[in-house]
Amino acid sequence: MAATETELLEIMAEEAMVDRSALTRSAVFTELGFQSLDVVSVLFEIEGRYGVVIEEEDMPPVTTATTLGDVLDFLLGRINAAVA
Amino acid sequence: MSGRRQVAVTGLGAISALGHSVAENWKTVCEPRSGIAPQTLDAGPHGPAPQTLPLARVAPGYEAPVEAHLGPRACNALDPFAALALCAAFEALGDAKLLDAAELRRRAGIVLGHGFGGGEALEKAFARFYGDKTARVHPTTIPRAMMSAAVSAVAMSFGIRGPVFATSSACASSAHAIAQGAALIALGQAEIVIAGGSEAMATPVSMATWQAIRALASETCRPFSARRDGLVMGEGAGVLVLEELGHARRRGATIHGELVGVGMSSDAHDLTQPALDGAVAALSQASESGGLLDAESVLISAHGTGTVLNDQNEAAAIHKVFGARGATHPVIATKSGHGHLLGGSAAVQAVIGLRALAERLAPPILNYLGPDPSCSLDLVLGQTRPITSTHLLVNAFAFGGLNCCLAFRGR
Repeated sequence: MAATETELLEIMAEEAMVDRSALTRSAVFTELGFQSLDVVSVLFEIEGRYGVVIEEEDMPPVTTATTLGDVLDFLLGRINAAVA
Repeated sequence: MSGRRQVAVTGLGAISALGHSVAENWKTVCEPRSGIAPQTLDAGPHGPAPQTLPLARVAPGYEAPVEAHLGPRACNALDPFAALALCAAFEALGDAKLLDAAELRRRAGIVLGHGFGGGEALEKAFARFYGDKTARVHPTTIPRAMMSAAVSAVAMSFGIRGPVFATSSACASSAHAIAQGAALIALGQAEIVIAGGSEAMATPVSMATWQAIRALASETCRPFSARRDGLVMGEGAGVLVLEELGHARRRGATIHGELVGVGMSSDAHDLTQPALDGAVAALSQASESGGLLDAESVLISAHGTGTVLNDQNEAAAIHKVFGARGATHPVIATKSGHGHLLGGSAAVQAVIGLRALAERLAPPILNYLGPDPSCSLDLVLGQTRPITSTHLLVNAFAFGGLNCCLAFRGR
């Protein structure tokens, strides 16, 4: 099952209880208020919904320059490569 | 504790089936009205048929004040046992006028007691693992279920960086937590300690385990009464803000009372049957160290679970420690209203007891059917009773023979 950006943003907003309108591609990821458990909860939901496994060590390092768009591109790439 | 750093109580917080705040708990216990009612627990598609049993459950919506202050996700990653503790701590800190205070970031600590921890989180994980037959259990299971989840949540929510840990001694957990909080202050490890406890075991598997041990009442909790037949499980949390007395006075805090004595003992006897010697040891230590043996009137907040043996043993211990005054000290047993909160019980009883000293009014024991000759105490029955008590004794005699009694002096 392929994923869309909108679906991933909805998962993030729900799991981390952050304002959906704050989740824009240009937002700096470390400034969005995700805590460590929010990240693993988002991955858990994504894995369950799309039937993929995403290891944390496979994720690119998150720096103060990483945008939400970077994170989305990584996740969409992994999900859609797995289901292709 | 004379000659040592003294411990004042400057904040109170309570959530139970009687209400979401200290004021609501006090009002309900005085009406009097019990929070015990038949409740149906649904074990889901993998469990047995839903069953109905008496429980004292907390009404929904208790998180609202905390979420209004800390944000909508304050309780999001918490099992109910931790969310209840966080919300009671929030009320207690507000009562102590310490919310967002600089004092909390200097030399403050937290000690909370729980008998079991995050039962709901574990049961969900077991349902997925054994029922859905998947090893993909939720990643927040451990952070929700661990016994220290509540103290961590309180520490992170209010920026508390001193000694922070949880205690566990079954039904005496929050009494031991308050005792340890007082010890931290007496030893100079902290000026302020958030101390108390919580529990939320009204979950399908947990209740099946309590039924298996044959400890539950068939209808309701009837402490010290004829035809009592067991305890009723409750949910909730109680929290006291303990503060070094001089520190409290210097900042002009309202002082609800002082913790003047503690008694702790172990029966070393049996897991579920109490022993007289252990209860007497804890009661006498607390009463002697707190100066209660000479007091004309001590309000005794009994452990009073409503089980046949506990109430009998507790009555005998009170008579043995207080002699003739054991028949005249007023005895209350609020588990008849808020149920048995296990790890949270002693703290909620301390909150209600301190309110009773302040109001000079003792709330009645509910569900009483008549006297049991083996429990001949001055039970407060029927309606609230005016009292002249200067001191409060809170008893906790837990499974495993773990005993802790707390002695307070009112203001």
